[in-house]
Amino acid sequence: MMHDFTLRVAGESGEGVITVGETVARIAAREGLQLVTFRTFPAEIKGGACMMQLRLSDQKISYHGEKVDCLVALNQAALDENFPDLKEQGVLLCEAECDVIEDGLSATVYKVPFERIAVREIGSRISKNIVVLGVLAELLAIPKPRVEEFLAEKFAKKSEAILDHNMQALEKGICFARENFSKREGFGFPPGKPERHLLMTGNEAIALGSAAAGVKCFFGYPITPASEIMEWLAVHLPRMGGKVLQTEDEISAICAVAGASWAGEKAMTATSGPGVSLMSEALGLLSIAEIPAVIVDSQRGGPSTGLPTKTEQSDLMLAIHGSHGDAPRVVIAPTSVSECITMMGAAFYFAEKYQMPVIVLVDQALSARVETVKPGIVEEIPKSSRLRAQAPAEGNFARYKLANSPVSPAAIPGTDGCEHMVTGMEHDEFGNFACDDETHTAMTVKRFRKLEEIEHDPLTQNLCQSIGEGRADIGVVTWGSSAGPVEEAIAEARRLGISVRGLVPKILNPLPHAQMKKFFSEVNRVIVPELNFTGQLASQLRATYRVPTISLTKIKGVPLEPSEIVAKIIEATDGLQQRSARRYGRAR
Amino acid sequence: MEEQDKFCDYLSGVNPVWCPGCGYYGILGALVEAFVDLKLPSKELALISGIGCASRLPYFVKSYGFHGIHGRALPIAQGVKIANPNLTVVTVGGDGDGLAIGGGHFPHVARNNVDLTYILFNNAIYGMTKGQFSPTTTLFSSTKTSPFGLTGEALNPSALAIVYGASFVARGFSVKKEQLKDLIMQGIRHPGFAFIEILSSCSSFNTTDMNVARLLKAIDTVPADHDPENPVEALRLAGDESKIHLGVLRRSSRPSLEDRFQEIEKKAQRGKSHGIDSLVRQFA
Ligand SMILES: Cc1ncc(C[n+]2csc(CCOP(=O)(O)OP(=O)(O)O)c2C)c(N)n1
Ligand code: SF4
Ligand SMILES: [Mg+2]
Repeated sequence: MMHDFTLRVAGESGEGVITVGETVARIAAREGLQLVTFRTFPAEIKGGACMMQLRLSDQKISYHGEKVDCLVALNQAALDENFPDLKEQGVLLCEAECDVIEDGLSATVYKVPFERIAVREIGSRISKNIVVLGVLAELLAIPKPRVEEFLAEKFAKKSEAILDHNMQALEKGICFARENFSKREGFGFPPGKPERHLLMTGNEAIALGSAAAGVKCFFGYPITPASEIMEWLAVHLPRMGGKVLQTEDEISAICAVAGASWAGEKAMTATSGPGVSLMSEALGLLSIAEIPAVIVDSQRGGPSTGLPTKTEQSDLMLAIHGSHGDAPRVVIAPTSVSECITMMGAAFYFAEKYQMPVIVLVDQALSARVETVKPGIVEEIPKSSRLRAQAPAEGNFARYKLANSPVSPAAIPGTDGCEHMVTGMEHDEFGNFACDDETHTAMTVKRFRKLEEIEHDPLTQNLCQSIGEGRADIGVVTWGSSAGPVEEAIAEARRLGISVRGLVPKILNPLPHAQMKKFFSEVNRVIVPELNFTGQLASQLRATYRVPTISLTKIKGVPLEPSEIVAKIIEATDGLQQRSARRYGRAR
Repeated sequence: MEEQDKFCDYLSGVNPVWCPGCGYYGILGALVEAFVDLKLPSKELALISGIGCASRLPYFVKSYGFHGIHGRALPIAQGVKIANPNLTVVTVGGDGDGLAIGGGHFPHVARNNVDLTYILFNNAIYGMTKGQFSPTTTLFSSTKTSPFGLTGEALNPSALAIVYGASFVARGFSVKKEQLKDLIMQGIRHPGFAFIEILSSCSSFNTTDMNVARLLKAIDTVPADHDPENPVEALRLAGDESKIHLGVLRRSSRPSLEDRFQEIEKKAQRGKSHGIDSLVRQFA
């Protein structure tokens, strides 16, 4: 039997929502379960509504779940806001004082005086979250020793008294549930597999993946939702002999990346859309000067400060085109936390091999979501290196040699006999400024030929995921974190008997043309779900392949839900049926 | 590696594109002479610049050169030095490059005490774009974009550097070549951020603010008893309106960014360096 269970904890920020969610997640990962989580962040520093949702399964999952099996609501507002997402047969755990209209309700409702237990029986309001955890542990049949073990580790550095307090709170929660709940068959914590999973956020995965790929210098300027990448590296990169510097702005960060990379080290920065906007002049420099660089853009909502804590996929055009002049760069987009690790390896691989900037597009939802990752994953990271030059036997070193390959061997400062200029001005083979049209044309062609080579690179062939094979009525193309809900939606639509397939390019510039073209030749209608207003991937596809597309866009600050995509698929099928019916009618 | 002991050993072969009479020729000469005297191997020399007439300099010198974008020479140079502390990093640029568009970077590279030399060519004009005012143009000057005078007071680059915490600040003049060479050598030898302001004429667009004959009358060397360790005195000399003091205005000794990175690494590693496996384990 497949176990698949979705839990949501909702309340006021500061009430312990995240602690409860993360603790359940950690324990589940240690039990070998797969999980995908989602959490919201209030835009305020303190207070505001927040929730964390966890989906646990003993199978591979790629989405945090739509309707929940169990909802924990710590106050009335959280209850009202989240109740519509509870499954009909679900379980609601709410603070005792909440009003619940139970008439005609098929869900099971348990009112628990979380706050009173914490205050009266433990004597501290802040232990409420551990009471909640106890109640949940009993309800979900999470083995008590696992929870105790986890708490002991979590509070290892705190005083004995604090640990004691928490253990008591846990026990009270468990007892309350035992005495007041009627346990339900087949409901709860699925039995795990022996293999422990790693558990981390997308941002942690990006940081870890970068460290594993050999980044030596990180420069950045804080911005939600990317800051944790720099924060993690600030702790851990020096341990591996790397350096992290918080610069005065994003322009400085990207320029320092340019300098460090030219000097021979793997260098990167991480930011969000506003930061990429500031970096866009330097992106042109990296492109024309042919310097490897990795830029992570964790997208958030809207232009300017927009929706700083919400998710969106609205920087695709900025990533592909943002700069002046013709400035080629690679754009890749992982779809899961695991891929955040491996694709940082891909980013350095492309940057170093092709000597150009690589933008890694993730978004707030992926940056913040906690997900299980298999332990051996860092071994899957592709190795990367820069083609190194040797000193010329005579004459000056030609840094930008025009040859068969658009990639010229690079020499790092300090190399004997390879002194040269790198420059943002148009230049000849030696890096000397040369603004004649012939040189500019030859050099522009050289820089763009790299994209052609990347399209045929063996690694690129693995950066396009096909969901299903062969001919289909409907083809769904999506990117980044929207891949998870699309995968689920396709599975659901297939269950409904619809002929549908999906394609998820994980490299968006250059697009994996062979696979894209084949896909378009095999499907009749193309739906493009993405989290932006204008349909940015759809525009790109229409411009590149001249295929008509049906956009499914959403700018609510949260990920797409599979049901929204299924609805769009059904709508498109209706259209198809009508069209074929009309055609059939005419033929007769 | 061939011996480099002559002036011409440091020339790239690319001829300077500056106007006849431009003060920058003198700066280039002093800079190259400093390299010769310091016996700096070209391969270990990184010359970083932004955009402007001044920023063209790296093309003319045999070195590893980086001609970047307008105003960003310092952040690029900082990245170079952080990645490879063995390189001698010299950054050059104009007054617009360093104090207008790039003005936000200067304080931070100074306070981080990045071990590099930053030479600001102060010609009080935008030369490259043909004669608009710069942040160091004086209030009543008429330029292409200030035909009736400016709206703001001129900045004083050396005074700023002192206030920003630069650990070495000196001022030179493009026609005082011997002194200039000496200042550049001291700056390069200084362990930490060294700032050198060089007054220079722009023969095409600003011969009033940086009029050589007038400047020759206004300059004075820093008094022999000046104590550069004293920041207040340094600032007083830098800001003196009666005389333009040339020489070393400020010198102090404090850990460079590289020193700080080494301390950070020690603290982070606590005696043992870590591999990726130990980083992975914390997620289990
Ligand atoms: C982002 C950007 N804005 C504007 C310019 C145009 N520009 C080139 S050089 C320059 C000013 C140069 O003045 P300065 O830095 O004083 O150097 P100088 O030419 O006087 O040596 C300007 C405005 C540019 N290259 N890039
Ligand atoms: S414009 Fe002025 S600064 Fe530029 S080269 Fe000519 S004289 Fe020198
Ligand atoms: Mg100038």
